[in-house]
This record gives sequence, C-alpha cells and structure tokens, in this order.
Amino acid sequence: MTSEVIGRSAARRVWQVLLQVGIVPLALLFLFPFFWMLSNALRSDAEVFASPPRLLPHVFLWGNFVQAWRYLPFGRFFFNSFVVATAITAIVLVVSSLAGYAFARIRFRGRGSLFVVYLATLMVPQSVIVIPLFLMMSWLGWVNTYQALIIPMAFSSFGTFLLRQFFLGIPPELEEAAMLEGASRLRILLSIFLPLSTSALGLLAQFTFIAQWNSFLWPLIVVQGPEHATIPLGLTLFQGQQGTQWNYMMAGAAISMVPGLLLTGLLHRYIFKGIAIGSGFGGR
Amino acid sequence: MVPAGRVVRADRAVPAGRVVRSGRPDATRRRRRPRGDLGTAICFLLPSLCGLLAFLILPLLASLLLSFSNWQIIGSPSFVGFSNYVTLFTRDPVFWEVFGNTLLYTAEYLVLNIVISVTMAVWIGSLSWGRRLFRVIFFLPVFTPLVGSALVWLLIFMPGGMLENVSAMLRVPIPNLVTNSHLAIQAVIIASLWSHFGYNLLLFSAALESIEGSYLDAAAVDGANGWQRFWRIRLPLISPALFFGTVLTAISGLQVFDQVYALTRGGPGSASSTLGYAIYTQGFVSYRLGNASAIAWVLFLIIMLLTALQLRLQRRWVHYDL
Amino acid sequence: MTKTLRLLSAMLLVAGSFLAHGAACAEQVKLTWFMWSGSTADVEAWQHVASLVTEKYPDIAVEFQTASWMDYWTKLPALAAAGQLPDIISLQSMRAPGFADLMLPLDARIKADNFDIRAFDPSIIQGLQKNGHQFALPYDFGPWVMFYNYDWFTKAGVALPRPGWTADDFVRAAKALTHDGKFGTAVPVPDAFMAFATSSGAHFLNDQGQPDLTNPGMKAAFANYVALATTEKVAPVYPSSGTISSLIANGRFTAGDIAMYVDGPWQLLNIRKKASFKVGVAPLPVRQAGSITLSAGSGFGIAITSRHPEQAWKAIQVLTGPDAERFLASAGRAFAARTAYQVYWYDTAAKDVEGAHEALSAALKNARPYVTSPNWNTVASLFEQYAPVAFAGSQPPDKLLETIQSLATQ
Repeated sequence: MTSEVIGRSAARRVWQVLLQVGIVPLALLFLFPFFWMLSNALRSDAEVFASPPRLLPHVFLWGNFVQAWRYLPFGRFFFNSFVVATAITAIVLVVSSLAGYAFARIRFRGRGSLFVVYLATLMVPQSVIVIPLFLMMSWLGWVNTYQALIIPMAFSSFGTFLLRQFFLGIPPELEEAAMLEGASRLRILLSIFLPLSTSALGLLAQFTFIAQWNSFLWPLIVVQGPEHATIPLGLTLFQGQQGTQWNYMMAGAAISMVPGLLLTGLLHRYIFKGIAIGSGFGGR
Repeated sequence: MVPAGRVVRADRAVPAGRVVRSGRPDATRRRRRPRGDLGTAICFLLPSLCGLLAFLILPLLASLLLSFSNWQIIGSPSFVGFSNYVTLFTRDPVFWEVFGNTLLYTAEYLVLNIVISVTMAVWIGSLSWGRRLFRVIFFLPVFTPLVGSALVWLLIFMPGGMLENVSAMLRVPIPNLVTNSHLAIQAVIIASLWSHFGYNLLLFSAALESIEGSYLDAAAVDGANGWQRFWRIRLPLISPALFFGTVLTAISGLQVFDQVYALTRGGPGSASSTLGYAIYTQGFVSYRLGNASAIAWVLFLIIMLLTALQLRLQRRWVHYDL
Repeated sequence: MTKTLRLLSAMLLVAGSFLAHGAACAEQVKLTWFMWSGSTADVEAWQHVASLVTEKYPDIAVEFQTASWMDYWTKLPALAAAGQLPDIISLQSMRAPGFADLMLPLDARIKADNFDIRAFDPSIIQGLQKNGHQFALPYDFGPWVMFYNYDWFTKAGVALPRPGWTADDFVRAAKALTHDGKFGTAVPVPDAFMAFATSSGAHFLNDQGQPDLTNPGMKAAFANYVALATTEKVAPVYPSSGTISSLIANGRFTAGDIAMYVDGPWQLLNIRKKASFKVGVAPLPVRQAGSITLSAGSGFGIAITSRHPEQAWKAIQVLTGPDAERFLASAGRAFAARTAYQVYWYDTAAKDVEGAHEALSAALKNARPYVTSPNWNTVASLFEQYAPVAFAGSQPPDKLLETIQSLATQ
C-alpha cells in the first residue's frame, strides 16, 4: 500500500515536471507571431519578402518606429483611438451602473421581461445593424465625426448584465441600513455599491476599452481619411496605392498593443477576480 | 464520453457548497421586500433604454425593412417583397458557399477554441510555477487589434513567407493556406484562435480556481484518477463558465469579419468569405443595401436559432447549484 | 479709472482684430478636396499643390482630405449618401463611367473660359468623359509598360526587352529568369491582364459598353495569362488579400524576387526609391494584335453638390495647371497629362532608367484609352478576389470568368 502510494506520487511528480517543462516551448511557439511582428518591424521594406527570409533583420532599423509614426499620421490615429475608447468606456460604466443597479435592486413591474430583452440584445451582431446605423449617421450629418464613433457603440447591454450579476452578490443589509437613514437610491449606488464593485467595474472598463480600441468594422464604415481614423483602420491604411509598407505596418501593430498592455498592468488584479462573475450567464 | 445522467449523479455525490455565487440571484431577491418603484427604475434605466432603442433595436428593425427594398444608397428605395431573399437562396452564385463557410468556421473555431482553452486552463492550473505568467502570455494577443494580428499571420502565410520556408526546411509539404481555396478558411481560423482563445482561457481558469479543493480531495480518497476527476468533477463544476464561453464564442464566431477582411478579403474567390464579410461587401462596396440587409437577417436568424438551441441544451449539461 | 480704460481699450482691440480676422475668413472660400494617397510624402505633395491654389486665388483655400486607394472608391458613394461629398473629387479614368454621375459636367465652363484643352494628351481627356461630357481635368496619365530588373537580366545573360519584342521572347526570358523561388514575372489583375487581352486582340466590353468577359477571345486570353502561373510556372501565385495584386507584384519586384512586371509609369519613382537595382522599362511584348497597351490617368472635377462650383472650377484649373504639373512631374509623382510637361518626368523620375524614353514613346504610340463600364470598380474587385483561384489552379480559368461575369452583372 505505502510503496504503491509512493510510486504513484513519484509518477505524479514526473508528470508534474513534464507539464512544467513542456509548456515553455509551447509558449515560445505561441509567441512567435509577436517575434515575427517585431522582427519585420525592424527590417527594411525590401527585406520583408527577401527569400529565404531571415529570422532577424540584417540591420536593426529602430528608426522604422519613427518612420511609421511619420509615414501616416499615426499619432493622430493613436489619439483618436484613445479618445473614442475612453469616451465609450466612461459612458458604458455610467450607463451600466445605473441600469445594473435597477435590475438588481429596484422592483418594478416587467423587470424580468425587460431583463430578458436586454439579454437578447447581446445576440444582435454589429454587422446586422451597421447599414441602418450608417444611414442614421448620414441623416444626422455625423459621418466622419467623433460622436459617430462614440455614441452608437456606447450602449451594449453586456455591462448592465455584468454589473447586475455583481450587485446581486452585495449583501442587502448594507443597503437597508442606508435606506433607514433616508439615503436616496442614487446615493446608495454611489456610496455603497460602486465602492464595493471596483473589481467588476475594473473588469468592465478594461474589456470595454480593449474591445473599442480594437474595434474595426464601425470605424471602417463611418470614417474616411486619417482625420478620424482609429488605430486598426490606420493599420490597413499602410496598404496604400504606393505599395504595402509591411515593416511600418508591423511597427504600427506593435505600437497599437501598448495601451492594452499598460491598462492590464494597472488593472490585472481585477481581471481574474471579476471574470468569474461573467460565468453566471444564463444561470438565472 | 460520459452520459449526461451519470455526470449529474457524480455531482450529487459531491458535498454541497456554493461554487458560482453570482449565478444565484434568487436567494437575495426573495429576501428583499418588494418595492414598487417604477419611477426610480425608469430614471435609472432611461439612459441605457434610450441607447439600446436608438442604436440597437431601431436599426435592427430598420435592417429588416431594408431587406425588403432594393435601395442602392443613391436614389430612392422601392419595396420588392421577398425578392432579395429569393435571389439569395436561388440565384446568387456564391451565397451558399458563404453560408457554408460561416457554419464551418463557427463549428471548427468553437470546438477548437473550447478544447484548447479548457486544456490550457487545466494545464496551466496544474503548474507549480508561473501560472500567472503563462496566462498572461496566452492572453497577450487580445491586446493587438484583430486586424493587426491577422496581418502578422498573413505575412507568415504569404507565398514566399515564413511557413513556406519552414515547410521547405523540414521537407514537410505544407500547402500554402492563403492561396488554396480549400484551406484559406483554415488560415482565418488559426489567426482567430491565436488572437482570442485567451479570453476563454482566463474564463475557465477563473472557474477552475474557484473549485474548492475539498471536492477533489474527496474524490481522490474515493479512488478517482486524474482523468475521472476531470470528466466527473471539474468539468461539471465549471459547466456554467463553459456554457457562457460557448455561447459568446459561437456568437462572435458567426459574425467574424475583421480577420477575413485583413487576411483574405474573403478569397481566393469566396473560399473564405463569411456572412459578416458578405454584408460588408454587399453593403459598402457594391452598395446593394437591400441585398446586404437580407444577408444580415439570415445571419441574425442563425444566431437566434443557435442561441435558443444552446439555452435548451444547457439544461442537460450545465449545473448551477451543486 | 485709467486701469479700467486700459482694459476696455485692450478688449476693444482684441475684439477688433477678431472682427477683422472674421471678415477675412468670410471672404475666403474653403473648398474640400478628396484624393487617394499612400503615404505622408504623397499627402505633402498634394498639399503643396493645394497651396498653389491659394497662392493664385487668395480668396480660395483648399482643404485636402485623403483615403487609401481601395478605400477611396468605397467611400465616395457613402459620402454621397451622407451628403458630404467634397467640393473637388479626384477621378480615375477607369472609374469615370461609374462615378461621373457624382460630378458636374465641365463643358460649358471650358467653352465660356476658352480653356485650352488641347494642351493635354487627347486620350486622357477622352478618358475623363462620359457620354461626351467632360467631368474632370487630368493631371496624369500613362500607358501600362513592362518594368524590368536590369541587373538581373544582364547578370543572367538574357537579352533586354526592347520595343518590338514578342510574346515568345517574353516567355523565354521569364523561363530563363525563374529559379529558386524567384520568378520571371507576375500576373496582376485586372489592369495588366486587360492590356494583355487587348494585345491578344480580345475585347472586354460589348457594344453596349458592358463587361463581356466570357467571349472566346477573353477566355483564350485569360487561359494564356493564367498559364503563366499554372503551367509555365514563371509567375508566383498570390493570395487574395487587402493588398491589390499590382501592389503585391510591385513589392516583390522591388524586393528583387520578380524580374519583370506590368504597371503604369506613375509607379516609377516609387519603384526607384525602393529598388536597390537598376530598373529598365520596355513596351508590352507583341501579341496577335501587336504591342497594344492601355492608357489611363486621373484628374479632378467638381462635385454635383458643391456650393462653390465657380471657385472649384478655378481651383481645378490650378491643380492641373502648368505650375502644378511642373511640380508633380519633377517630383516624379505624375507622368504629366499636359504633354509639354512630360519632359520634367523624363528628366527626374526616369533619369538613369534603361530605355524609359524609348519605351514610353513606343507604348504611347500603340496605347488605347482604357475604356470601361460603369460597374468597373466592382469588376476590378471581383478580379482581385477570384483570379487567385485560377492562378492556384483550383478552378479552370473560363469557369472563373463566368463567375466574375455573373457576379458583376447580377
């Protein structure tokens, strides 16, 4: 019995080491496209398709990052993406907190069915509504403006759903005490619920920001020219009439990752905690 | 592998406890005394209601209306009944190919995504060192715009690119993915998986971590091996997360656009064109708004059907209360 | 008291200067101009040209807006629908039948101002017409020609392409130069192929001016063109991607992976800037119908919705005027549509290019205007999307032409 257990645990230890060692090459392989992106960002245009390709550039052209920034108004794209993603994130946080609270705590007739409608809108893909949305923007005269990039994208019910789930887990006793003291609903939301929900809010902020930072279809349709172009749109602008600038494009792609990485560095402790909340979907 | 019924029985054998707390709103709801507070509720809901109505529900209905018109953006539309749909289903030379591509893409992407992310979540969860590091590594592509990562993959798949040279070096004939009509969609799938399985990885990792060790210890005492513990305990315990991940991955898979646009532009021919991409080209390249809206509604109907099916099936395999 | 007075007078001064500034602004008309571009160098050149307008007419300011080549044509109808067309629209001759409806005919103004249209090459003047009306004034044009890698040819000991060289010479050279993952030529679509087909004696439009891609002549020409990639294997297959095929060919040519390919003279400066080898130019090889090539170009016109058509008319005259043409040709940005200014292009962009002068003159002699159908933008994007299927050998070429034809005329 004991020797069997020891044998088993020895086998388990070997297995454990194998798992630990095996994941390293896998992770390296997984990272290859990033390596390739950087390696191509740093080489000359002619070297990108030289055959046979070299793993590393012949000469490291660090200046490509500056060139990419100059070749197209990449600073402008960066600024646009930042403005749009930040504005949408801010609106989503406010709107979803209010609605999430209403669904979690305020009882009113039709709440259940209204919530089902909210959930159902999660199924509506963007590509199904972009044509009427574009026409709407045309009529409003909003084509090629910031408001067109921001407003129509700021009302996903995902945030409402996520925050509702989180708010439901907050002990009602806290709220009842405040109510007895005559605090208003808004006051309760602001001073009790939101401070207790930083992880959910952080998660929502981060996911909204990244999703909007990476968003492509809507800017592609509602923007023309670099003035209001966002980063993903800007990346495709490298495929201009004068030939695709792969090296600059890769430099641009590398630059485009920076804000997401920074944000995750700032908020990473929220992600993991918060993400389990989402898994309650459909569990009502 | 294991019949659904047996999974349930295995679950019941596990000591009761709360795993997915957030999935159980009713407990709190019942405790609160009812408050008819319609006015306040409207105030709180007004911004989101207005937004959803104006920018989601209204456009959705408008899209249905447009699908019965022959509008070409310049000029005025006229009502043409079901003719856009009839053309699509009977005369359009590529619609069924595009339709099939979308289903193939979604099915393959969904299965691979879930299998890979569960496997990796379990694998990384079993590590004694660097769990957070590896999770972050596999989550990294999420920060790159899909367009950007698709372009990196294009650079790799291009004729004369990295993959061809690797295949020549290893003397393994790997067909070129982006020039081959049968394989182009696989290129899109690879790029999509690489970019986005990190989301599900995080989701499942979080769910696995929330499983209390006592379940597994109890099972180990009962003599269950690792494989059995995985199928009978861990998988059922993370089934709400699995369900959530499956539904969202399926919906996002059905509307794939960015990768197709950046990687293949639906080609060669329409070999990798999907419904989402066809809506764009019909709507904003050819400006056949009626036709594009009809495709949009076909896509929407598929998503509704599939989601309804998943909601129905979840009763069989998703366990919220253990 | 004095303090208050000083403050008041200061405020008045500020207000006064604002008013004066406002008055100046009110006098100046702001025109928007939409143009495709591929880089900031492009944008800077065009912005310089725009500034020429204000130099000549201080009361007109031209605001330059831009999109990439492919996006430009997708955006125009969207802008039209949004009621946001710019005052000045850039038009390429192959897209003239499709997009001229967004623009004002210029005939009356040309007549009234006695504008000298004969200073321009007649083929591009014709190219920017629809139903006999002039819709834009041209700034550049050019015939499709063969660009080749001079160093590669001489090193391999292959005879250089010269005016009068034949289709057989072309294939022989391409075969001799193809080796080790490098290719003799490339097969971009649709423009280079339409020139190929025209040289072969085929017609891609029917008598009604609609695409007719499935006639026997076109099918034979496409089969021969596809064979360069499938059976002769002297041209690489390429994927359908966001990069149009001529740009893929351009990229591989400048990287030294392809020995020769067909493109327009507007690419020469760009090629020379990127290529590390000596470049040569030759006319297209002689096929059944001779060494026939197509010529096309671009120009500027006035949007139908412009609120300042008079000023826009003045502006496009400057944008295509002698100063602009001298600048664009010297910078190598354009093979000038004003024939007198082509010399600037030869002296700068084509400096040190083997056979450029000879090839261009020969090509221009045998060039036909690239006349297209109103849905040419759709036809072009269908070719980009479907031709790679034929090059990869997945489907027979004639079947693909049928698919393209049926989708184009759907």
